[in-house]
Amino acid sequence: MVGLLAVGLFVVLSAVFLTADLGTPVGFAGEGSITASIGYAMFDLEGGAFESEGFLITFLVIALVLDAALDAAVMLGSREDEEEQTGDPLAMADGGSPAEEER
Amino acid sequence: MAVATSYYLVLSAALFCIGLFGILTRRNALFFLMSVELMLNAANINLVAFSYMHGNLTGQVFSLFTMALAAAEVAIGIGIILVLYRNFDDVDVTRATTMRW
Amino acid sequence: MAEGLFALVPAIVALPFLSFLIALVAGRRLPKGGALVGIAAMTGTLGLSVGALLSVLGVIGTPGISHQILYDWAIGQGTFDLHFGILVDQLSALMLVIVSLISLMVHVFSLGYMNEEGETGLARYYAELGFFSASMLAFVMSDNLLMAFMFFELVGLASYLLIGFWFRRPGPASAAKKAFLVTRFGDYFFLIGVIAVFATFGTAGFVGSEGFPHLAEQALLGEATVQTYFGLDTQAWFSVVGLLVLGGVMGKSAQFPFHTWLPDAMEGPTPVSALIHAATMVAAGVYLVARMYGFYAVSPTALAVIAFVGGFTALFAATMGAVKLEIKQVLAYSTISQYGYIMLALGTGGYIAGVFHLTTHAVFKALLFLGAGAVIIAMHHNEDMWEMGGLKDRMPVTYAAFLAGSLALAGIVPFSGFWSKDEVLYEALIHGLGSPLLLGAWAMGLIAVFFTGFYTFRMVLLTFHGEPRSDDARSPHGVGWTVTGPLAVLGVLAAVGGAINLVPVKKLTGANIDFLHDFLDAESANAAFLGFHHYEELLKSQAGLEPAYIGGETLTLLGSAALSLGLAVGGATLAVVLYRGPSPVRHVERLGRLRDLPFNNYYQDEYQVWLARGLTLGVARAARRFDEGGIDGSVNFVSSISLFSGDRLRRLQSGIVSNYAALVAFGLVVLLVAFGATGGWF
Repeated sequence: MVGLLAVGLFVVLSAVFLTADLGTPVGFAGEGSITASIGYAMFDLEGGAFESEGFLITFLVIALVLDAALDAAVMLGSREDEEEQTGDPLAMADGGSPAEEER
Repeated sequence: MAVATSYYLVLSAALFCIGLFGILTRRNALFFLMSVELMLNAANINLVAFSYMHGNLTGQVFSLFTMALAAAEVAIGIGIILVLYRNFDDVDVTRATTMRW
Repeated sequence: MAEGLFALVPAIVALPFLSFLIALVAGRRLPKGGALVGIAAMTGTLGLSVGALLSVLGVIGTPGISHQILYDWAIGQGTFDLHFGILVDQLSALMLVIVSLISLMVHVFSLGYMNEEGETGLARYYAELGFFSASMLAFVMSDNLLMAFMFFELVGLASYLLIGFWFRRPGPASAAKKAFLVTRFGDYFFLIGVIAVFATFGTAGFVGSEGFPHLAEQALLGEATVQTYFGLDTQAWFSVVGLLVLGGVMGKSAQFPFHTWLPDAMEGPTPVSALIHAATMVAAGVYLVARMYGFYAVSPTALAVIAFVGGFTALFAATMGAVKLEIKQVLAYSTISQYGYIMLALGTGGYIAGVFHLTTHAVFKALLFLGAGAVIIAMHHNEDMWEMGGLKDRMPVTYAAFLAGSLALAGIVPFSGFWSKDEVLYEALIHGLGSPLLLGAWAMGLIAVFFTGFYTFRMVLLTFHGEPRSDDARSPHGVGWTVTGPLAVLGVLAAVGGAINLVPVKKLTGANIDFLHDFLDAESANAAFLGFHHYEELLKSQAGLEPAYIGGETLTLLGSAALSLGLAVGGATLAVVLYRGPSPVRHVERLGRLRDLPFNNYYQDEYQVWLARGLTLGVARAARRFDEGGIDGSVNFVSSISLFSGDRLRRLQSGIVSNYAALVAFGLVVLLVAFGATGGWF
């Protein structure tokens, strides 16, 4: 029943998109490699065949964010000493008992 | 013959809504995260479609960054699910309801 | 700015107020507890009052009245101003002299009554006496109704303090409260009347062409417009306002039904009874009527009410005074009765007669109370007349003075009371011949003369004649000159005071000896619309009160005088016959049931207590229920809405993340649809 909301949202969005007048897409005409241009644009370098904004600062920010995410994930995953050692020291990856595996 | 932009937008809307459907109905936290990933990728399709429509590469470059952001977000999300499992012994999102009235 | 002696008039009030402050602050350290300061202040005040009177007469400087505004304490923007002002005209100058004279006599008498008897708290006593004197004098010289109201209330406060002087005893404390509450009830209507005067005329001043009495006269003649309320026409509205102010008058002057406080007020010290409850404070009410006479004279309804209430009270109180056992109680009811006479005079157009009786009554009633005080000192504070007797040989000066006062009270010629009471009844008769209501009032006043003579001489005979009936009477306590001195002064005045207005002699011989009439009819008074000639014209034109005679003026005069004198002598003779001899019999007790009714004050006290407890308490309870249920209930209801909705709304926070996501998605869909519909996206 709740999923009908998602269906409803799809109906509304497609109604908007299909009745919108967006014109013909311009596309990337002319010589030049799109991928190379993406690389040039990412580091604020001239040489790209197609126009774009510079994303150097964004690149650095994303690097920072990824770094932070990594540290956060490690921190979240680490087990503090106050936690109860309820389970086995061995990680139960497959659900079987250690004694059976060893045999 | 270029495809009209609106069809790309409809595609991205469909992906978004499938992801939204998953968020609204799935009870396992990991499937919840997968649905969030789907929504992020729908946004990426949108960005690329408009980049093609305007003839400007900004949309495509930005979608790369969005992907990186999605990866970071999943890292954190899985960490949170881990802690959730430690506290509630279950990854069912409907079970973790202590922050309520 | 006033010239000559009038510039010193504020000192008349300032001197007693100063003695109040000194006695309050340093009284305990002074030798007589502040008495000498009070006596000095009152002597100064008396001198200044006499000076003011002579200035008004013209003996000092030019004759004329003085009106000065002392202080504007509220200046209205586009509306009326409120100020303190002084009006010294004939009426107020006369009253100033009366008040300061009696106050001085009482101050001297208190030396003998309070100090000699070893009372404690004397500083408080003299401070309160000074405060009372200052307030009463300021009331007398007020030039506008609001200022008069303020000092009216202060005088009531002083009375409360003085009645309850021995507040540690339950009797005086309760009597003080009763006095204050009963007069306050009347003053409530007075206050509404003051507001009504301001709202109607835009001014509350008494004097001159801008004063409200003159404005009222002009409004009735159609020369000015005033604001009336409740859809009443001008004449009716003026009557309403007059009756409202009359509420305060009746409360202060102890007229029926607000008379119940005065007999209880006898719980206070006797000098206080003499000053406040005989001569001055109770006079404040009738003085106010005389002050506003220009306003009352245009309203025949109010005048009729005044006259009828006065006549009824005169008879009503006289019947009660005839059966009382304590000397001060007889005098208290006598006071109520005599003020009924003054009201009768004012209500029937006898302005001069009313003021004359006010003057003579102040003197002889104060005299009688001080005499009673001397007797009480002698009797070791026993007030029961049936325990007295034979005091005339042991207290000759007191007896002579008391007898003079009693003859004046009973109205026996040639004492002052005869002339004034006779004139009151004469004026009531000649103005009342056309109206049955006023004639009825006159008849009641006439019957009361008989009772007055009776109870006065009953009191004299039981107290002073016969054989002593108790040990207290056999060996009375001696009294000093501080007691007999004031008695002698007032006794002489009571005897000869009638000389200021011997109207019958003037009418018979033509000699111009009615000094009071000429005084109150002076040119300066009439010019300021405060004189008798002006009032007489108003009474004739607006109130329809014209004199009528039976068989000519002389015959009516002689007949009325003979009638009142005859009744007074008759009553006195009955008392002498019943109570003379060495051991008088308790004749009044033999009346049985007939005596019980007046002895219990016609159960008026019980009735008023019932009104307060039974009636008012029920109304108060209902009001409380309305307040708690209605007003508090509606406020609580509003808050309960908020509480209820909050309780229901918080359940949205279920803690389940999917629900939150669903809510977000739902909100997003609604927003998109709304923006799309209004923005024309589709």
